[in-house]
Amino acid sequence: MSGSTLTIAGRIINQLIRDRRTIVLLVVVPLLIASLVGVSVPEKSILDYTAPAILAVLILFFGFLLTGISFLRERSQGTLERLMASPVSRLDIVGGYLLGFLLFAIVQTMVLFFYLIYVLNVNYYGDLWQIIVFEILIGIGAVCMGTFFSVLAKNEFQMVQFIPMIIIPQMFLCGLLWPVSQMPDYLQWLANALPMTYGVSGMRALMMQGQGLLDIGKEVGILAAYAVGLLVLAALTLRRGSG
Amino acid sequence: MPESSPGPAVAVAKLSFSYGRQKVLDGLSLEVPGGISFGLLGPNGAGKTTLIRLLVGLLKAKSGTILTLGQKPSPRIARLIGYMPQLPSLYAELSVIQNVEFFARIYGLRDRKQRGQRVEEVIKLVDLWEHRKKSVGNLSGGMKQRATLACAIVHNPRLLFLDEPTVGLDPELRVTFWEYFTTLTRQGATLVISSHTMDDAAHCDHLAFLRDGRVIALGTPDELRRATGQAKATLEDAFLHFVRRQEKQDVR
Repeated sequence: MSGSTLTIAGRIINQLIRDRRTIVLLVVVPLLIASLVGVSVPEKSILDYTAPAILAVLILFFGFLLTGISFLRERSQGTLERLMASPVSRLDIVGGYLLGFLLFAIVQTMVLFFYLIYVLNVNYYGDLWQIIVFEILIGIGAVCMGTFFSVLAKNEFQMVQFIPMIIIPQMFLCGLLWPVSQMPDYLQWLANALPMTYGVSGMRALMMQGQGLLDIGKEVGILAAYAVGLLVLAALTLRRGSG
Repeated sequence: MPESSPGPAVAVAKLSFSYGRQKVLDGLSLEVPGGISFGLLGPNGAGKTTLIRLLVGLLKAKSGTILTLGQKPSPRIARLIGYMPQLPSLYAELSVIQNVEFFARIYGLRDRKQRGQRVEEVIKLVDLWEHRKKSVGNLSGGMKQRATLACAIVHNPRLLFLDEPTVGLDPELRVTFWEYFTTLTRQGATLVISSHTMDDAAHCDHLAFLRDGRVIALGTPDELRRATGQAKATLEDAFLHFVRRQEKQDVR
């Protein structure tokens, strides 16, 4: 990791910290959604079943949203182009954004997780640290996904269109609403190609069945491969100019 | 203090560039000697910004060659080059000092003490020291321009590209900016400045008149004025003289 990567990450952290309203929204909005889920679920056992999936989905959704919009804003304001004219490499830029946004994705994840556990009294059986490590992995995937799709979008409007296109189908197919195994074969095939499915099944295995990270090696491996693949693709597709 | 390059600071040969089917630069060639202020003058759409974006490596040329400080544009040579884009490209949430500090780090000023001194020096040079802790988003347009200039020069570049740096500035600030630019060339830096105003042109050591992606004249302001054959010709007269001459050549 180069000094430029850390400099870019530090700058992003500084920027978000100085924008207090955004910081408040980053924490409050996921809590509001989690509360809504908590009070609307009729039985405690249903909440225990739903909570791991909700966690995975919200981490992916908010990480994607925060990174995608912020990265795109940099492009529309010309600051990304200014950076591209400097000596930093494309990997430094993408890596810097990943690190910077990851910090906020982790904070968001932790707040949400402890809110579900201690306020909504969701039961969990696995090791706390292993659950947190897996959540961070989902967060890394979300940040990489947001970075990659913001490179493809030319403006904020296009980026917003990616939300129904990328996130909502995954929410329906990931096993949050009904088990993947009960879907038609072709949808199961599609669900098994999407990262959110592995996030949900991994979280359920860790929180509900008390399994460890080694037991969910497939989920960890696929999410890590997604993250690395999207990060490399984002760096490769990041244009120095628009010509 | 930046050293002057022994060869030309910028050498462009037969450079062509198009946005889709729209040809923006058409076989453009020019050389910029080191240690001077070189003006790229021309109307909107002449290809000035595209040329600067090619020179700083933001665009890739379709054909032709570009050498800046004797090398092809690359992240490695970018360390010696400064770039001030047309619009203030700053982080609105960060303060002036945080913006300048960020670019100082990005351009490789690693030593904390030296970096701190240089950041202070450039912020004072652009007269923003009193406002250094203010968020850039809360500054006036002129202040943002000055902060953008501070970010562009913080690493003491040998070659500085300024894309319409005086657009939108009031006359007083315009004079101040030209004082900064003169200071920088005296220190040995080479400045390439795009503009469409003849007021800016008069301040440059050398000029290239651009029209429709081509260089239609090159020389010092005096040489270009004299070429019109009129005793009291302005640079505007000179520009129109070369436009007419080019049009006649194109008809032939």
